[in-house]
Amino acid sequence: MPRLADKRLGPMIFWSIAIAITAIACAALFYAAAGRTVNATTSEMADQNRHFRLALDAIEADERNGRLDASQAVAAKGELAREILRSKASPEVAATKSLGRAPLLFGLAITAALSLGLYAFLGRPDLPTQPLTERPELLAQSLDLDEAVARIEAQLARAPQDLRGWQVIAPAYVEMRRFADAAEAYRRVIALAGPSADLRTDLAEALLLDANGAGSDEAMDQLELAAAADPAHVRSRLYLASESMRLARYDEAQVYWQQAIDLAQGTEVWLPAARQGLAVAQNDGVDTTAAEQLEMIEGMVGGLAERLYAEGGTVEEWAQLVRSYLVLNDRESAQRAYDSAVDAYPAAFDRGELDTLALDGGLTLNGDDR
Amino acid sequence: MSIELGHFALVLAFAIAVVSALGGLLLWRRGERLAAVLSQAAILQFVLVAVAFLAVVQAFVVSDFSLALAANHSHSLKPLIFKISGVWGNHEGSMLLWVLILVLFGALAAAFSRSLPSDLTNLVLGTQSLLTAAFAGFTLFTSNPFARLSPAPLEGGDLNPVLQDVGLAIHPPLLYAGYVGFSICFSFAVAALISGRIDQAWARWVRPWTMLSWTFLTLGIAMGSYWAYYELGWGGWWFWDPVENASFMPWLAGTALLHSALVMEKRNALKIWTIFLAIITFSLSLLGTFLVRSGILTSVHTFASDPTRGLVILAMLAVLIGGAFMLFAIRSPALRQGGLFAPISREGALILNNLFLATAVGAVLVGTLYPLLLDALTGTTISVGAPFFNFTFGALMAPLLLVLPFGPLLAWKRADLVAAGQRLMGFAALAVFLAILISALAGNSISLVPIGLLLGFWVTFGAIAELIERSRLGRIPLAESMRRLAGLPRSIWSTAIGHMGLGLTVLGIVSVSAWETELVTTLNPGETAELSGYVIAFDSFEQVEGPNYLADTGAFTVTGPNGGTEDLMPERRTYVASGTPTTEAAIQTYGLSQLYLQLGEPLDDTHVIRVWHKPYILLIWIGALIMSGAGILSLSDRRVRFGVPQTARKAKPEASL
Repeated sequence: MPRLADKRLGPMIFWSIAIAITAIACAALFYAAAGRTVNATTSEMADQNRHFRLALDAIEADERNGRLDASQAVAAKGELAREILRSKASPEVAATKSLGRAPLLFGLAITAALSLGLYAFLGRPDLPTQPLTERPELLAQSLDLDEAVARIEAQLARAPQDLRGWQVIAPAYVEMRRFADAAEAYRRVIALAGPSADLRTDLAEALLLDANGAGSDEAMDQLELAAAADPAHVRSRLYLASESMRLARYDEAQVYWQQAIDLAQGTEVWLPAARQGLAVAQNDGVDTTAAEQLEMIEGMVGGLAERLYAEGGTVEEWAQLVRSYLVLNDRESAQRAYDSAVDAYPAAFDRGELDTLALDGGLTLNGDDR
Repeated sequence: MSIELGHFALVLAFAIAVVSALGGLLLWRRGERLAAVLSQAAILQFVLVAVAFLAVVQAFVVSDFSLALAANHSHSLKPLIFKISGVWGNHEGSMLLWVLILVLFGALAAAFSRSLPSDLTNLVLGTQSLLTAAFAGFTLFTSNPFARLSPAPLEGGDLNPVLQDVGLAIHPPLLYAGYVGFSICFSFAVAALISGRIDQAWARWVRPWTMLSWTFLTLGIAMGSYWAYYELGWGGWWFWDPVENASFMPWLAGTALLHSALVMEKRNALKIWTIFLAIITFSLSLLGTFLVRSGILTSVHTFASDPTRGLVILAMLAVLIGGAFMLFAIRSPALRQGGLFAPISREGALILNNLFLATAVGAVLVGTLYPLLLDALTGTTISVGAPFFNFTFGALMAPLLLVLPFGPLLAWKRADLVAAGQRLMGFAALAVFLAILISALAGNSISLVPIGLLLGFWVTFGAIAELIERSRLGRIPLAESMRRLAGLPRSIWSTAIGHMGLGLTVLGIVSVSAWETELVTTLNPGETAELSGYVIAFDSFEQVEGPNYLADTGAFTVTGPNGGTEDLMPERRTYVASGTPTTEAAIQTYGLSQLYLQLGEPLDDTHVIRVWHKPYILLIWIGALIMSGAGILSLSDRRVRFGVPQTARKAKPEASL
């Protein structure tokens, strides 16, 4: 109820303040015009005369200090006199009529209309401020994970049949890298809610993570059950494929990779990896891509080196050349390329990545101690 | 409601600026009463924009993420100072800061212009309001800092970690004060062109503003340079980055303006050139803003690239600068050049100064814009790097530095070069001796190094020559000399000190460029490395948690050549909200030299360590600080205070409005 009242009152209060500010500003401007009364022309004349007097004083001071000799001083004074004559002769800027009331009021009216109108167009007077400390949603967020998990654990110890509790805590365990606990939690969920392809895959995932790359028979069983239960389940097939690769069961791997690829829409992030996996599996586990890569690098390096040594290039291109030589295990050429790059880019600022690369590859740095 | 009130204040300031600009520029002959209204309007604009600015600051401080700006650029875990400085660590906020400083200068001009002729006041404040209207309008319509979000997110996107540093609290406000301060000179130039009032009095009004802006700009650039030096982690203090050039060009032009306004004030000469420089200087400030804010350049300064904004700024630039130059083209033939002088005179020396500085601006401008234009027109990407700038700029500065000590010793109008030369002979000999001695000790062969040293010492000592000359040191009793020194006008002191600062900066630059040493290596805790007599021992490595980042920290013990040991703790931080890393180099000062230690990326099981030894690097910034100090000293000289001294006036109430 009070929030509703706020919503209506907020803009009204805001607009009254805005109008009051505008009125104060306009009044200040209006009274500024009335407040100052000075005879304009005298002040300007006085100012000009004062200026010439100062210039004359300066010439005389210079003469006294010996910075000007007598003839120079006379010349300077003569020039000053001519300047004064010129300024007297030049038509004075005619002091036209003073600012009248009409243009002033017109200007003030435009100011008020422009500001209020423009704000109505741009502003959001209905939105209140929301400092972080005064926001109710914040409380929910401020609980940290450990605390929350401990609370749920205590509750599950009292009521182990609480499906919702297990569902919440299982992914939290994965996040906390407590994989064995996560697997146990997923087993509980499956027991309480009945199995599904997703749940079985989650359980298998926790088991595989817990095994830390060593594989798990239970996980394989669960994944196979999941894949069998849902012919359109991609995640279980991807796990099965990569586990089969690990176990060198390339025929099975081929089948799972193919199934996963067939299920893909074409934009999935795992798709390139799956295609490569399929290619490797079809080749009985021999990764030809590395050999192809090596061949490609060799071809590319020749062209790049030729160009860089002849015409120079960016520091990134030099880094690429050095990296390529290191991949090809050609230390001597890598060192030569690095030295040439240092000649081209003497400032360390330019070659951060290159230096790291060279250090990593065991090249000699700081060769030329300046 | 505070956010919306701030928003309204900005809108009202914009409306007042629009009306003031129209009133000031169209009705400028309407005398004192209009001047009073415009002055009041200028002060109101400042008050209102200040309210708007404070509203945004308040929203950042209390982490009110219903303000889109805070949601995008703040974070509730940020330390308080970075919440405040984060207000201008983004495009919209920095535009608001720009407008705030613009209206601050407008209000100062209004406050100090009470004794100015009313037509000049009207035109100056009118032009200033036009600038405010243009920039406040740009801010409101294309980059409104008051955009709201509903519903508000629970956490903000955080500020670029590189900017989470006290440097952000100091560098932009100083730099903007410098940039924007030149707007007053610009407004005075436009006023002079429209009203035809261009005389020595005009120069006397303009020069303090030039001096003030130049002082801020010097501090701003020096601060930016030192910040880049310690924060970017590469030990470089100047990169000829287009953004740095964008701030350096107005500085060069402003330095030229400072000197040519001097000629105009003292000798009533170089009038048209001075007006031209005043327009050029502010135009370069605007160009800098355009380059940085349009997103054409990518750097830590570019917060968002949005082509629309770029086009709008470009259009504003074209209208403001184009309009000013058109005015200049139409009106300048009608202005009278004044003051004749011989080539060898103080005027002549100052013209030489202007010539070299203007050419240097041209060189930097070409080097900065050429790659951009080439990219835009032909799509070819080239990079004009440090070698180009070092060579062209160095070649232009060398003769300037060579003739610099002569300038203050030459008389106005017609001077005796031989006499000035004789008075400088001792200092020249001293500079040559020191340059040869140091080069011999360092084992340098004939190269640019001794020449650079020579110029540095020459300028530094030559600056004192006038003080010694004026005090007749050595020719009369010491006490008498001291009394004379103390009695010298502050303007003479400020000239000497300013030029000396420049000489020290040159010495610092030469020394670092010639004798800097660097070492890149891998170290494990327990191992040591050595560079230029410093032994760097890697004691331990640990990971610590900061308020909003995780840091890899290395503990090092550095043993200096004289035996003393210091503990250094360089860090690599990863900021939680954005996941971006920063390097926090550890810097140890030895006298005027520094040892710069950077903990590089982790490499397998070891760490990349970069160490630099920077001999006499502090001279670069000390020189800049001394130069700004000279500016402040000059401003404190009673004779060049803002405008003319107040004359007593009898105020009598006017009968009717």
